[in-house]
This record gives sequence, C-alpha cells and structure tokens, in this order.
Amino acid sequence: MKFRAKIVDAACLNHFTRVSCMVAKLARACTLRISPCKLHFILADSAAGGGVSMWCELPQENFFSEFQMEGVSEENNEIYVELTSENLARALKTAQNARALKVKLTNKHFPCLTISIELVSLSSSSRMVTHDIPIKVIPRKLWKNLQEPTIPDSDVSIYLPLLKTMKSVVEKMKNISSHLIIQANLNGDLNLKIETELVCVTTHFKDLGNPPLASEDASQDRDPEQMAEVHVDIRKFLQLLAGQQVNPTRAVCISCGAVVPLMSQLLSGPTLWSWLLGPHSDVVSHKMVHFDLLHEDVSLQYFIPALS
Amino acid sequence: MLKCGMSGTQVKVFGKAIHALSRISDELWLDPSEKSLALRSVNSCRSAYGCVLFSSVFFQYYQWSASVKMNDNDTRSNLNCKLGMKSILPIFRCLNSLERNVEMCKIFTRSDKCKIVIQFFCRHGIKRTHNVCFQESHPLQVIFEKNMCTNTLMIQPRVLAEAIVLFTSSQEEVTLAVTPLEVCIKSSNEESMELNSSVYSEMLVGPDEFEFFQIGVDTEITFCFKELKGLLIFSEAIHAPIAIHFDFPGRPIALSIDDMLLEANFVLATLADEPSRASSSQSLCLSQTPKRSDLGCSNSKAGKKDSKAIEQIPRKAAPKRLHPAETLTNISALENCSSPITKKANGDVSEVAESSVSDLEEEPGSPGLRKVKENH
Repeated sequence: MKFRAKIVDAACLNHFTRVSCMVAKLARACTLRISPCKLHFILADSAAGGGVSMWCELPQENFFSEFQMEGVSEENNEIYVELTSENLARALKTAQNARALKVKLTNKHFPCLTISIELVSLSSSSRMVTHDIPIKVIPRKLWKNLQEPTIPDSDVSIYLPLLKTMKSVVEKMKNISSHLIIQANLNGDLNLKIETELVCVTTHFKDLGNPPLASEDASQDRDPEQMAEVHVDIRKFLQLLAGQQVNPTRAVCISCGAVVPLMSQLLSGPTLWSWLLGPHSDVVSHKMVHFDLLHEDVSLQYFIPALS
Repeated sequence: MLKCGMSGTQVKVFGKAIHALSRISDELWLDPSEKSLALRSVNSCRSAYGCVLFSSVFFQYYQWSASVKMNDNDTRSNLNCKLGMKSILPIFRCLNSLERNVEMCKIFTRSDKCKIVIQFFCRHGIKRTHNVCFQESHPLQVIFEKNMCTNTLMIQPRVLAEAIVLFTSSQEEVTLAVTPLEVCIKSSNEESMELNSSVYSEMLVGPDEFEFFQIGVDTEITFCFKELKGLLIFSEAIHAPIAIHFDFPGRPIALSIDDMLLEANFVLATLADEPSRASSSQSLCLSQTPKRSDLGCSNSKAGKKDSKAIEQIPRKAAPKRLHPAETLTNISALENCSSPITKKANGDVSEVAESSVSDLEEEPGSPGLRKVKENH
C-alpha cells in the first residue's frame, strides 16, 4: 500500500484545507478512502452518530499536482484508513503560506498519514514542518460498509436558500426546541418550523425552485402545493450548516421516505456531498433528509435520519 | 515606600507583563528596589519562573525609599509584596482601552498597611482607584547563570509563535533539538508513542532565521510550553527578539528579552534525560531575595513553600559565577522554617549548601531530590 501526493498551488491548498475543516466539523472520526481518481471522506451510518452519515467526494486531479497510489491489491486498488478529521484539518491549517505540501502514508511506529509542509520564511530559506497523523488501516472485509450510499426515491427536491440565512434562523430556534420540522413542496416553498407547548415558530422561504425530478412517476401526481415534512434533530442540521464556511455552488435538500418526506437539495458553489443517510438505514423509518451540496468540484452528501 | 507613575502606553506594557506572568502562576511579587521595579512569579511546582524588571527610567517618575534601615549593614528591606493574580489581573484587563483612556497611572504603597494603590487618571476627568491588599512574602529569584550556557539563540518572537501554533493544547511539552546545522521544535516523544495519540509535529528552522546562533553542544531539551506562551504575548508588545539560553537536558532553559527600559526573564525547568528512571522535571534553583532585615520573623511568617536557601546574590549586578558549593543548591531547597540556617542574616553559601542537601534528602515529596543525586 502506497500513497504519495503533492499540492503546490496555493488556491488548491486553501480549498483542500477548507474541505478538511468542513469534514472536521461534521464528523469527529471518519474514513479516508483513496482511489486512483478520487479522495473520499466517509462517515458511515452509526448508532453513535445518531444515524447521520456523510459522503464527501473530491476529484484528486483538481487538487494535487502529483498523485500516486497503490492500493491493497491489483483488483482492489483502493486504500481505506480511519483518522481523526480534526488532526488533518489542524495540520493543514498550519500550511497557510506553504510553497508545497506533501501527503504520504508512512509507518513510523504505527501507520501515519504524514503531511510535510515547506513553508516560505522571510529569510527566503525554507522551513520544513512535518505532522504525523496516526491512522488505522481498515481491512478489506469492512469496505462494504463504506460504499457510496444509494439515493432513495424522494418525494420532494428543493433548492435551499443561503445557508448563512438558514443557519442564523436555526441557531435561534435551537434554544427553543431540539426538534426541527422541515417542510417543502414542489412549488419552491420551504418551511423551517419548531413547535413547543407555548410557542410555534415558522420561517418561510419562497420561490426557491426545485431541481428536475429524478423519478417522474412518483411525483407526477403530486400536488405541487402539498408539503412534504420531516422531523429531524436540530443539532444535526446545525452541524451541517456550521461546517459550511462558503456557500455551496449548489445545495439541494431531498427528503426521502415513504410518508410525506421532505427533500431539499442544496446545490451551490463547490459541491460538497455529505450523506446523512446510513447505508443500512432502517427500512421502517425510511424517512430521512438528504442534503446534497456542491462546492465547485467537491461534492458533499449528508443524510439526517428523521426522528420517529 | 513606592511611588511611580506611568502613561497610557506604559500601562499597556506593564499590563502585558502581568498577563505574561499570569501564565506562570496565580501569584505575583511586586518587588521594587532603588533602580527598578520587578514583577516576579513562580509556579507551584517550581518548574517555571518569570521576572519582568522595569528600570526606573521606564516610568514617568519612580521613587522607592526603603523603610527605616535595620541594624544590619548594607541591608535594604524589601516590600515583600505578594499579590494574587485574581486581584491584579482584572485591573489590567482591557489593555487596549487602558492605553486609549488612561492619561496617567500611579502606583504607590502605603507605609502603614499592606496595601498597594493603583490609580488610573482617565480621560474626561475620571479617576479610578484600586486598593489591593497584599500578602507579605519574600520574593523569590532564580539562580541561573544564563550567560554561562553553551547554547544561545536569538530569534524574532514571530517564528516561535508560528512554531507554537503547531502544537495542540493537549500536548503540554515541546522538545527543542539543536545541532549546529538546524533547530528543530517538535512534540515531545513521550507523548506520541501510542496509537490513538495526538499528532506528532515538528518544525525545522535553519540557522539563518536566527539573529544570533551559537550552538556549543548538540542537545535535545523538553519543557512545558504553556509558560512560553506568556513570554510570546509579552514580546509582541515590546517588539524585541527573544534570547534563548540552554545547555543539556535537566538544566533550565532561560528565555529573555532585553530592551533598554526593561528586561524579561523566563526560566523553565527541562526534563532530565534519564534512561534509568522516569524522567522528572527538574525544579529550578530559587532563592529568596537577600538583605532581609528581619530574617527570623519573616521566615516564620512565610509559608512553607516560600522557604528557600538564602544566598547573597546582588540583584542588579550581572549574576556572578556560581560558587562551587552552590551546585548542590541548584535544586530547589525546601527547607524547614525551623532550620538553624535561616536565622543567620547573611547565610554562608557553603554552609547552606550542606544542610540543604541533608534537608532535601529528608523530604520525600520534593521533586528536586533526584536532581541532587544526579548532579554530583
């Protein structure tokens, strides 16, 4: 197993750092999957995480000037490692004015992802900074749990408004209730609602637009005004919003589920796909919200399970 | 009796010194003397010492008159003022606003009570007075001849600050490894041996980034960098390079800033290089300031942790060559208040040395103990 990659462009480095910071905000420990063309940050559905899962995909050639990898074997030319995402984010943040950044898999006492940074210093001599991030190699037999989630049929897909606006709204709502109701319809209307005994607060977003429907038959006879609704844990939703520093190029929310699910797809900016869907999400509570974010070339899919 | 005055800009520097020393300990000694005012701080485990010395010309005006001289020859009494950080830090909290609003700051003591008065004369005729009570306690000084160290580096604080950023707050210790070719600041080895440990980071800095680079012996020393952060904060205010003096593991590392008007010294203990037993942090050699007029009483007043070997070390003069017998006392000597040595006004160094060694051996808890044995 071998992996060596190099970034020399400052813009690519900043972008990669931003992606890594975003992943760090969404998942404490995640899986890094290295394949010849892509890098993935994966958080598989786990009970500990509350059923949230994430799938973030980056095309490697848009970031790395050099990229060499050799997977576990010829047929399985991929590498899966587990690491603490915050370690990677912090290490990358120290590379602010780097001339070059090299990433490679090493084995120093234990397997590490080594980040070597060549910093430019005032006296024009280079300063070398090295970070050894401890990782755990994931054996091949566990790879099947970390595959790309299939997007289930959705009821409603809607483009999301500015994430920053939603974040400020939801942040205030969090103080009142931990149960958020997301409603959307095919008419471009999105509602974020919280209800308690004493008060009910709803924020209405209109004219958001809906992406073209994936499955025509399911939604053919759907009344555009009819709202699909999903109840989610507000903190998980906030976690997704908090991680987005830049508004994505495209952000879509999709709510999936048998019963009036609410889907909003956010597509804006670079694509960041984070999937909140678990690969083995409950068949009974098929309900979930699927967020599909695109940040330039990085896609993030995030799945939040619906509260029963 | 102390009387001094500062302008707004000077208050900011003074406040920064207090902030820097607050990283070391919760207590601060305000130690005025004829020509300077020192702020000193020692941490509870005696592994870090900080002192910022303001020369009298730093202030707008400065006056220190010792109280009535006692019978001893050439002794001056100290103010013996120990302040809690909790009382003094809030006074100098918002330094930027202090700099803007304060036109004059006066600090003076009252001869009758154990009180320091800090007055801020601000804009718009506002006057703020703080009366801070202090505890009578003899200030401690570190005994460390930094100019005798074989390795000396002088560097702009920014470089150190950039290195510090690499390490997380979970990693307390940092290792400085030097060779004549390069300097490496890295995570302490002790901490990164397990699998689920924190990231191991290192930064290599070439000799040309230093303003002064003299390496006599290749060495690797490990120390806590929490206290170092305090010095970095202070150095930003002064814009002066930091000089680093050190030797081999076990010997303290001294970081200092020397400006015309003030001098800051932070001395940190380093981990002893000990393969046979677990590394223990070396405690610093500290002494109470000399020329105390009333030794008997003052020692009994001082808490146990304040008792130190008494040595004659003039404060302003360059530290003199360590007395050969003094090597024995290069370990913090925790001596009993009842020790006969303390009753002597001018403790003879060699005498003190011997009894402190024996005292040390009796005290099981002292971290400095192992050092005693190693150093011979």
